[in-house]
Amino acid sequence: MLELRDLALAFAGRRVLDGLSLQVAAGETVALLGPSGEGKSSLLAVIAGLLRPQHGQVWLGGRDISRLPPERRQLAMMFQDHALFPHLDAAANVAFGLQERGVPRAAARLRAEAALAAVGLAGRGAAACHELSGGQQQRVALARALIGEPALFLLDEPFSSLDTHLKQQLIDDLRQRLSAMAVPTLLVTHDRHEAFALADRVAILQHGRLIQVGTPGEVLARPASAWVARFVGFDNVAADHAIPPAAFLLGDGQPLRTVKLVEPRVEGCRVVVAGDGGDWVLSLSARELAAQPYPQRGGRLAVGVDRAALLRW
Amino acid sequence: MFKKSVLLLALAGVSLTTLAAELRVMTHSSFSLPKERIAEFEKQSGAKLAIIKGGDAGEMLNKLILTRANPVADVVYGIDNTLIGKANAAGVLEPTSSKVGRNVAVASLPGAVAIDYGYVTLNIDKAWFAGSKLPLPATLDDLTRPAYKDLLVVENPATSSPGLAFLLATIAGKGEEGAFQWWGKLRDNGLKVAKGWSEAYYTDFTRNGGARPIVVSYATSPAAEVFYSKEKLAESPTANLLLKGGVFMQVEGVARVKGGLQPALAQQFVDFLRGEAVQKELQTSMWMYPAVAGVALAPVFKHAAQPASFSNPDLKAMQHKTAAWVSRWTRLVIKNAP
Amino acid sequence: MQKVLPLSDYRWLALPPLSFLLLLVGLPLSRLLYEGGLAFSPALLGDAYLQWRLGWSLLQAAATCALTLLLGLPLAWVLAHFEFRGRTLLLRVLMLPFVMPTLVAGLGVLALFGPHGLSGLNLQDTPWLLLYGNLFYNLPLLIRAAVDGFDHVPASRLMVARTLGASRWRTFWRVEWPVVRPWLASALCLIFLYCFSGFGLALLLGGQRYATVEVEIYSLVAYELNLADAGALALLMLLLGAVIALLYALIERRLARPDKRSPPLRQPVQGWPQRLLLLASLLLLALFAAAPLLAVLLRALLADAAAWRVLLQDDTQLALGNTLRFSLLALLLATLLGLLHGLAAQRSAGLRALMFLPFMVSPVCVAFGLLLAYPAYSATLALLVAAYALLAYPFVAKAVVSARDALPAALPNAARTLGASPWRVFWRVSLPLMRPALRRGMAFAAATAVGEFAVSLFLSRPEWLTLTTLIYQHLGRPGAANLEAALVLSSVLLLLALLAFMAIEWPEKTHARTS
Repeated sequence: MLELRDLALAFAGRRVLDGLSLQVAAGETVALLGPSGEGKSSLLAVIAGLLRPQHGQVWLGGRDISRLPPERRQLAMMFQDHALFPHLDAAANVAFGLQERGVPRAAARLRAEAALAAVGLAGRGAAACHELSGGQQQRVALARALIGEPALFLLDEPFSSLDTHLKQQLIDDLRQRLSAMAVPTLLVTHDRHEAFALADRVAILQHGRLIQVGTPGEVLARPASAWVARFVGFDNVAADHAIPPAAFLLGDGQPLRTVKLVEPRVEGCRVVVAGDGGDWVLSLSARELAAQPYPQRGGRLAVGVDRAALLRW
Repeated sequence: MFKKSVLLLALAGVSLTTLAAELRVMTHSSFSLPKERIAEFEKQSGAKLAIIKGGDAGEMLNKLILTRANPVADVVYGIDNTLIGKANAAGVLEPTSSKVGRNVAVASLPGAVAIDYGYVTLNIDKAWFAGSKLPLPATLDDLTRPAYKDLLVVENPATSSPGLAFLLATIAGKGEEGAFQWWGKLRDNGLKVAKGWSEAYYTDFTRNGGARPIVVSYATSPAAEVFYSKEKLAESPTANLLLKGGVFMQVEGVARVKGGLQPALAQQFVDFLRGEAVQKELQTSMWMYPAVAGVALAPVFKHAAQPASFSNPDLKAMQHKTAAWVSRWTRLVIKNAP
Repeated sequence: MQKVLPLSDYRWLALPPLSFLLLLVGLPLSRLLYEGGLAFSPALLGDAYLQWRLGWSLLQAAATCALTLLLGLPLAWVLAHFEFRGRTLLLRVLMLPFVMPTLVAGLGVLALFGPHGLSGLNLQDTPWLLLYGNLFYNLPLLIRAAVDGFDHVPASRLMVARTLGASRWRTFWRVEWPVVRPWLASALCLIFLYCFSGFGLALLLGGQRYATVEVEIYSLVAYELNLADAGALALLMLLLGAVIALLYALIERRLARPDKRSPPLRQPVQGWPQRLLLLASLLLLALFAAAPLLAVLLRALLADAAAWRVLLQDDTQLALGNTLRFSLLALLLATLLGLLHGLAAQRSAGLRALMFLPFMVSPVCVAFGLLLAYPAYSATLALLVAAYALLAYPFVAKAVVSARDALPAALPNAARTLGASPWRVFWRVSLPLMRPALRRGMAFAAATAVGEFAVSLFLSRPEWLTLTTLIYQHLGRPGAANLEAALVLSSVLLLLALLAFMAIEWPEKTHARTS
């Protein structure tokens, strides 16, 4: 289990981490979610031992590893741009950590080739890193991280440089691997889709503090603040509540409201209407659209809100 | 690569280990004697010679002066009559004499033992003058005439020994005021000043691709031109231009260094330099005349006219006034001040 | 992106190089100043002549910087963007001017632009010849640094810029220039300091009128033993040099940013416009960097067969051996010091500026100061090698700093998480990635060690004869045979240096792509 206790870190007077505590169980994946520049990567660097916090401890498997240098923390880390060593070929990259831990070069190379095969890169061991595509580089980085059987797995925006299609494929792949490993995993991302797709729990970071931790379902059902609600993707957020999509009532009996904007989508459309106390943004499915006249800009749409379904904090 | 380097380092580290007593000889950078001669001295004396080159003679003397509290040499060769006064005044030399050739010396130095002498004078490029039909200048004053504009290169007396010697000769020949007037006119007549002898001789002298057919050099240079010629010339391509007030006699000597660790060996070295073998060989290794009379001149010296007269300021004047003269010269010629 | 700072910085690594600087520069200089008693004449700085000389020193240094930049940057651009046969060799050859003894280089320059020069143009005793000489010596520095900088621009970024509608020129200006700037900054700083405190060539080619302040210091120390005035001038030069170096350090530290490494994209030369461009560049390079060398080589080749017999002489053998031995020892020491200083200087502008201290101090003052400070060691091989290393190591340090700046932090960080200790990270990741730059620095350091004549200011011994001193010995005597021997020996020196550069910068297995 990974346990972060009251971590604090400041760069030149600017607080990056401010009394942060978190536990990640073995086999559990926690996604650390927050906007760019809010200290997520710094937190990973602190856990990895690349940065020393001003305060607080990092415990792993019941041991305080705060004072250990990175190379003795038995962890694996995936970096944003993969951080493959450009002077080494794919297999040598994968074998790097094994050699550092005393495996002879030839044996390490053999194991690296096998690990590459396991990520679908059989026979590409001799390829120079720049000859590989983005997705392939990502898989080399993954093989490199996992070959050392780490006690902790850290991922720093590992998908940010990949295209959407590839990303989905790799996320599915990674999810399977994570479930096969019984180690705590901490994923840093600013992309909520990534976070919800991979994580057992989501931790939301703002101004160096965790303002909400919970399963994706919990966070979506009970956002802790307007900021969180907006950040996890709710469109209609007021000061004290958010209107989840399910709270909107359409059709007969609902008050008619002016349509201010209509944007067609692959399935259905997105509509902005003048609601009570501000604009409402609705995503209408094809089925919902079929039940009524297609909304026109400047036209009217019957929309109400189920007050009981509002999310309040 | 690194492993190999380490190996080479180890090889390179096999260093010079000294065995017997060591005699440290400070010399100027032109010192040169055949290896056999050095070996002979080492065999005779049972000591090892450590020759330390201290740069140009003036620079060398200053290095000795600066280190007089912890002398870096036991004996010094190469202090000449322009520097001996300064050396004696600074107290870096032990008064030295030699019994070898004592009664037949042609030249002497106070407090030191003269080893060789030579003359700093003007050299000309014979081919250039033959081609230009210009008559050779007959006096120093001729050089300030328009006909001889842009023809002369001298070495800077502030950075070169022959340059300084030539300045001293003009001062002795023309008197201080007359000399500086002459230098002023010379400056206005396109005088070129080079940093040192090598620069003047190899980049400015017409003989070597420069633009000046008259250069301040040594009286033995024409002989050296023959000696170091490619096709064994019968006649030197250069000649001495011996003008009144334009010849300086330079006497170089050797002396024990005050506070040196090996006074006896030092004396042995002094005597050795006065010996016939060295006196003979220094002629074509350092291009100077032997200070001991009766030593046969090298045959090649017939290509160089030996000056019959020269003009040197007296030693006292050189000791006390040289610095002021050089700075006056610099002001006048380089800084172009009135 | 969050900037992840490393766990600790490595400023303590500067301890050995700083002690070295203290021992070889700080103490001797202080000792000299103490000997002079700081009793310099106040009129000294008021001297209009000296002010003029100082102004000239600054002006010619600045003019040389501007000219090398103007000429060198386009040439470097061509060398960095086009692949052609002999390109790698050309980059090695380019460093040869560095090893040429000043007087021989002067002979070469005058063979072209002297009174009887091949060009028919007599530039002797004009400032143009001096500037030409400065270009000859300094262009290689700028070009090598700029090519290195251009190689750090990711090919993808160039392509993006072009597809975004930027012309080649706009691409250079908006994409490449920001990457190349820090590389240029250090080279220009070095060039400035070199020219500012230059000694040999300026005097030789420009005549006494164009002498720099360093010449004044030399004659004050070596001839007049006026240590007070010399010390004051040396301090003034040091101060001015320090201002320049600090300026450079601040600029570089601000500009430097890590870059993703990808192999440079070089085009084969296609079509007439490109062929002409390459040809023109090569001609310019030949004119400014190669012509004087070629003149020397040509004169040596035209010399009698007898002149080549100089190679068989004992002195020549001794000089060859010593040149190799001293250069190797100096190179090893310089590499060690340069690596340490370069790594330590990454986060300190002060340390970056200090790297250039050896070029800011007056050589003659240091030489005499060393004599004063350590008389017992004054004629030892250790001091000689240390002096060579002193003048050579800034090249290594400079290269290491630039390369370290360009190294993305994620790579060492990744290596740490993979179980490598800081030392192992250095050995397996940082060093291999810095190696091309390090080797370039080492080649320059070796060149300095081979060609440096400032060391002649120190006490020396006949048995320490090197090729350079042997060449000067020959040029210290009249006679055609001596001149030819000097030219032949210079050619040997060039050949030897070229071999050394090729060995030091032996092309590594690179993954260069061509489009």
